[in-house]
Amino acid sequence: MGGAAQASGGGYQLPVFPYRRPAELDGERKRYRVVVVGGGLSGLTAACDLASRGVPVVLLDEDDTVGVRGASSRGIVYAQKTLEIFDRLGIYPRIAEKGVTWSVGRVLADDDMLYRFDAARGSLSKQPPFINLQQFYIEWFLVDRLAELPAAELRWRNRVTGIELRADHVALAVETPEGSYALEADWVIDASGLQSLIRSTLGAEMAAELGEDRWCISDVRFEKELPAERWTWAKAAFNDGRAVWQHPMADGVWRLDYQMGPHADPRMIADPATVRDRLRRHLGECEVEIVWVGPYGYRTQLMKHFRQDRVFFIGDVAHVMNPFGARGGNSGVQDAENIAWKLAAVLSDAAPEALLDSYDEERRAAGAHNIHVTTRTIRFLAPRSPFEHRFRDAVLDLARRYDFARALVNTGRLSVPFDYAASRLTTNGGAAMPNLPVTLPDGTHGALSDLLCGPGAPFLVLCFPGAAPPDLSAGSARAYACGEPIGPLPVIRGEALRQIGKPGEVLVIRPDQHLAARLLRPEGAALAAALNKALGKEIPR
Amino acid sequence: MRTEPNIPDADGIYEAIIAANEGLSDAQSEAFLLRFALLLANQIGDQQVLLEAIKTAREMVGGNTAV
Repeated sequence: MGGAAQASGGGYQLPVFPYRRPAELDGERKRYRVVVVGGGLSGLTAACDLASRGVPVVLLDEDDTVGVRGASSRGIVYAQKTLEIFDRLGIYPRIAEKGVTWSVGRVLADDDMLYRFDAARGSLSKQPPFINLQQFYIEWFLVDRLAELPAAELRWRNRVTGIELRADHVALAVETPEGSYALEADWVIDASGLQSLIRSTLGAEMAAELGEDRWCISDVRFEKELPAERWTWAKAAFNDGRAVWQHPMADGVWRLDYQMGPHADPRMIADPATVRDRLRRHLGECEVEIVWVGPYGYRTQLMKHFRQDRVFFIGDVAHVMNPFGARGGNSGVQDAENIAWKLAAVLSDAAPEALLDSYDEERRAAGAHNIHVTTRTIRFLAPRSPFEHRFRDAVLDLARRYDFARALVNTGRLSVPFDYAASRLTTNGGAAMPNLPVTLPDGTHGALSDLLCGPGAPFLVLCFPGAAPPDLSAGSARAYACGEPIGPLPVIRGEALRQIGKPGEVLVIRPDQHLAARLLRPEGAALAAALNKALGKEIPR
Repeated sequence: MRTEPNIPDADGIYEAIIAANEGLSDAQSEAFLLRFALLLANQIGDQQVLLEAIKTAREMVGGNTAV
């Protein structure tokens, strides 16, 4: 790959990013604010979010391109919350243009369609419920965006080989094609994936479980018209009674995942003749081009703590789950957003360091929840006993006839943002607020995310008619009146606003667009107290 | 979970369940009971009651459950 301007694989042209000699190799020695290790989905998102908030960040990646394992599509379903984050970071338009927007899913058992859902129903966001896109494209767009942000520095072919926790900083040992150097940082975000060297070097505790379920992941092009929908078979005759996933992606490539028999031989799963035969049974006779194919064994991993001293663990380093419902990648992006605004708040002296403790609290709870949800799915798709199998079949049987049983058919519960109701930052709230389309005070059409852009980590205070104008003389909260003027506040308008707030209510929205507090006609210091709480000022040091 | 009598004609229901299983193999009777249980669970529609019923049934056939 190295040297060429582009790397090719599976008919894709992937970028190659230039290695540049780090100043440290020529004697430079300075302390960096934040270093992100790993340029995958969550690491790039963290760097991009920090840089967009004006926080200087260095990202180290051992490779010099996007994607891994050739041109495997990896995470392909990007859910609404993730798309909203990418909207704030400025890459959403490219994702919408390149990817496949969808909202309709069908759940099948053999030849019967059990049910169909449309996730666009009731959606209040400016972003659609889902866009499918090969993961490396998202990573590519993030790299391009980072190049536009002066606070970000990307270092390709810089591999971390060691880490040491010091009293007031972290020391990293980094290896480049031209030699090794030491890098000092106030804070480190470890986004280096499943096999993190930082995690193992620090001896961080982790619960891990290898699943027995084996799948064959196939990225293919074919000459056959299929709808741009998510189709999942709880069982399919063309896959020997096992589960199948069918998703459209960019460039006319489809992602077809086939559940294999228990203890299937990994070598046979991706054997070309076997793969072609499987595709023929699924698609019928048509031209098929195999872009990428490989076996995939599911596993579950969860770190005991997502923070160790000055190091934060995000994405696959911290949690690995079965891929049902696209909860891995989407939750990694949300980890990144969560730590980014908190670091930005602390580094701009808007919040105490104790706020950073809430990263572990909030995102570990999200990770544990996602693992629980995906484990329920695997238990449905891969029954562990003959009885479980017969019970599952009873559900499928009922679902063919009655609506109620469809709720029991579990081919993956699609990623939704975690609710921080139990968080120590939350007064009354916790849920993610949809990215409502609104008319901004200057008359342009935008969305809530436009009001939450950096620098720093601004909070949003939305005042609904009947609420008194708040006193926000201290702090970085931005207050708006919703629908009608309130005192001197700038006004935002939009039909959907009444779906999130009632007359007299004041909503405190965090930089990650989660609701910190819903207050009814707050008096005295109630609003200030909620803002202080959301900034971690009540967390004991 | 309600444990006082609540079925209007208990003998009639017992008779109906027996009759419905007549001529069925054990495997078919199990299939019947699974469907019957799921249909009833939806009628009850109360999470706490269902969880308590599951726990009670499990205790009656042996051991505690993690529910």
